Amino acid sequence: MKSDRAKNATLWANASTTRVPFEVYQDGDVYADEMEKIFYGTTWNYVGLESEIPEVGDFRRNFIGEREILMIRKDDGLISVIENRCAHRGAQLCQKLSGNTGNGITCPYHQWSYTLDGDLTGMPFKRGIKGKGGLNQDFDMNQHGLCKLRVESLNGVVFASFQDNVPTLREYLGPEMFKYFTRIFDGRNIRVVGYQRQVIDSNWKLQMENLKDPYHAGILHLFLISFGLFRLDQKSKCLVDDKKGHSVLISERGSEEGQEDIGGVKIAAPDFSLTDHTLIEPRKEFPDDVTLSIQTLFPSIIIQAQCNTLATRHVIPKGPGSHELIWTFFGFEDDDENMKKLRLRQANLMGASGYVTLDDAEALEFSQLGLTGAPKGNAAVLEIGGTGSESNDHLVTESLIRGFYMRYRDIMGYRHLGF
Amino acid sequence: MIMSSLELEEKILRQIERLQLEYISSIDDGPLENWPQFFTDPCLYLVNSRDNLERKMELGVMRFESVGMLVDRATATQHAAVFAPRRIRHVLGPVMIDEVTAQEIMTRTNVAIYQTSPDGDTMLLMVAQYQDLIAEDEGIYKFKEKRVIYDTLRLPDSVVYPL
Repeated sequence: MKSDRAKNATLWANASTTRVPFEVYQDGDVYADEMEKIFYGTTWNYVGLESEIPEVGDFRRNFIGEREILMIRKDDGLISVIENRCAHRGAQLCQKLSGNTGNGITCPYHQWSYTLDGDLTGMPFKRGIKGKGGLNQDFDMNQHGLCKLRVESLNGVVFASFQDNVPTLREYLGPEMFKYFTRIFDGRNIRVVGYQRQVIDSNWKLQMENLKDPYHAGILHLFLISFGLFRLDQKSKCLVDDKKGHSVLISERGSEEGQEDIGGVKIAAPDFSLTDHTLIEPRKEFPDDVTLSIQTLFPSIIIQAQCNTLATRHVIPKGPGSHELIWTFFGFEDDDENMKKLRLRQANLMGASGYVTLDDAEALEFSQLGLTGAPKGNAAVLEIGGTGSESNDHLVTESLIRGFYMRYRDIMGYRHLGF
Repeated sequence: MIMSSLELEEKILRQIERLQLEYISSIDDGPLENWPQFFTDPCLYLVNSRDNLERKMELGVMRFESVGMLVDRATATQHAAVFAPRRIRHVLGPVMIDEVTAQEIMTRTNVAIYQTSPDGDTMLLMVAQYQDLIAEDEGIYKFKEKRVIYDTLRLPDSVVYPL
């Protein structure tokens, strides 16, 4: 096994997940194991939105772990997800980020061609020239298709898995997470508002942890606190699924009761106010009173609804110490002109330069820089809100992160090693 | 004095070059409080990827529609944001004038923006093009629209300062 070091008892000395060894953020063997067991294992991975590929032959390139995939609209209207690697010599098939590949896919190197489903259909000089060269008669075309992934789409959001024995997407999400997923993706046609991509030099798990950490949000994000967009004393919940890998945290703006309680957070400029308030004037768009919801689905997708700015944030690992974050800001086809404007305006809160998420990207890099080279046995301390990983009706807790690592340890096999 | 059209064009060009240089200096050398002064009110300041632009998506990494919003960005960057210290430096190419009307001038200017950490490591933050609509405001040229269209799709780290 590759990960002897990972299985060293020092890695996870404590039976609970109140300690996370710093090695899991920087060890190359752990990382390689994560690719196999998590990203290429029995998980559902976000691939994109159906509305990104409306026409037959439309494709969009993306990653699951470090493997590059294509999401393609087939001629039967369904979607295929295949690996972007020719079955011949391994060349990358599509170089464009997105586009239309017509009725099939042809490798630019030797023009081996495939259906939109990934079946091999032919290649030049298959029988050679004048009977000389080419492929042997017994070469089985059926055995040389592209790597095909299992695909499921839920209300326009496409997921794929490298494994056939993965449970259905609905089972994978569980009832509670399904409820919150379909609260945002309610079946309306999705309209992509725009993309942002950034590379953040931290381990991918730190990005997921950050969205499972409401504790930081009421401290780090002075912009949110200053304008009451999010505060830890607001009516709120954080929920986990049975397997503890998925979570959602929600809060209601304007639900603070009595005296403002910001828990002793130091605000640099307490009298800072906005000259132009249009940025933080959201419009109610969902039936309930929730103004912020952040859902994280194991392993690597975040669904954000802060005021009227909706986005998927796709976390793509790039080695132990780096990850890419692809933001797909979206709205719905039935958005009126005012709502379209609000979504563009409120996008200032989010993304690579967002009033809120700028702090996050920076803090993640501080974490990676801080833990790099820490002595063996050093670990993160996760005891805010106790030691459990249950759902809560408050946000001063790290229970969602503890839950994430319970699921993580299960999948990585660290749990059953007698420590 | 009557100027030839060539002389007039030269004069406009020099004024625009000066505007661009003073603009980038307000960001690179500060103080950042001066940055909003280079815009009309209302205005459009949009930092967007070429990829989005080609898809006709006007989503900004930053997207501001008034001088007030620009002032807020400058203030928030200094008082309500947490980030590692850094210095940025714009390197401009020559200004290309696309169109001159009685009210407005359309220009494009290539720009490379570098970022330097406290340890002195410099990296390329982005390669971009300013696509500007410039108008006279009480005798001074200002940006009515400034689009920063970047080619560098995968932005390194976060974008802290305006560009």
